[in-house]
Amino acid sequence: MAAVLTAETSDNIRSMVSRTATAMPDESALIARARGGDTRAFEALYREHVDRVYGLCLRMTGNVSEAEDCAQEAFIQAWNKLSKFRGDSAFGTWMHRIAVNTVLGRIRKSKREQDRIQVVAEATPSPASIADNGELRDLSDAIDRLPEGARHVFVLSAVYGYSHEESSDMLGIAVGTSKAQLHRARRLLAQQLKEQGFEA
Amino acid sequence: MNEERDDKLTAAARKLATHVQPQRDLWPDIELAITETAPRRSRWTPMFAQAAAVVLLIGASSGLTYLAVKDDRPVVISQPAPEYAFERAAFGSTYTLGSDYLDTRAEMVAQFERELDHLSPGERQDVEQSLEVIRGAINDINTALEQDPDNTLLQDLLMKTYHEELNVMRKVGGVTQSVMSRSDI
Repeated sequence: MAAVLTAETSDNIRSMVSRTATAMPDESALIARARGGDTRAFEALYREHVDRVYGLCLRMTGNVSEAEDCAQEAFIQAWNKLSKFRGDSAFGTWMHRIAVNTVLGRIRKSKREQDRIQVVAEATPSPASIADNGELRDLSDAIDRLPEGARHVFVLSAVYGYSHEESSDMLGIAVGTSKAQLHRARRLLAQQLKEQGFEA
Repeated sequence: MNEERDDKLTAAARKLATHVQPQRDLWPDIELAITETAPRRSRWTPMFAQAAAVVLLIGASSGLTYLAVKDDRPVVISQPAPEYAFERAAFGSTYTLGSDYLDTRAEMVAQFERELDHLSPGERQDVEQSLEVIRGAINDINTALEQDPDNTLLQDLLMKTYHEELNVMRKVGGVTQSVMSRSDI
């Protein structure tokens, strides 16, 4: 039997949410406190942004363990670089940039990327697809099988909605390369999904 | 055809989850890492180590030079155990320190002693060790100056060492007074 919220319960929940939102310190105040060495303030920033950072790491790496390491490393780097955060962009965007750099740095350092592709190809469903429902899982799995360059551009541009300029800047590639990789990603995805009987 | 395909793919991609909750809480490991690399302690250590290294290097090289030049005279350099309490500043036996410098130093010493209580035990130890090195160097140079009061090399060296002492106290106390110059003496 489906649970039904009474009007009174709904109002109580709304009131609690409202109070929580009011009690949550302003993000810029949290950043200022964290900059001064307040780890509790930084934890609040972590709680606010971890899902989006981890989501990006998971989409880019396609590996739970690697994504956890990348997200952790990204937040540690963010802590160490907080003094350099000028607020020119949103804190979430700044965190995304650090996460992308962390993923790329780890890939450069290790030779595990090739192994990862093989492991992901054998695994169904892929870790990233756990978060998606129904037919989106097919797309998510197909993204995981994309070659690294095409996957990174597709994730940033198509999934997270960054412009070619922003994506290319984060990935350290030319805008033209970003466009070419996105085109390649779409072609490969369509091919993969067609083979699986999914009409893209 | 391709445009339609791309539009469908883009629309589907936008529906993918962008927020994914990690299967475990990553915060404890992050907290451990950032508290291990707490900036407060690491900020002091290199600064004092650098200051102490500079003083030691200058002191050693100048001492050797002095001994080489003055090897015809018996030189006995006493090495008193550095005490933490501040003693009266000296500049050899022939010269006196300028009033501006003495006033600044007295002010800094007072501020420094108040600020010491606010430091963590680790930071306090760093400061004490740095000052011990600097004060040891000051004693050595003053002793050498008693033997050779006109040695400009030793005078400059003593000047720099006093400067280092003031810098340490200034950094600890957060005092922003201008540091002494050669003309203060």
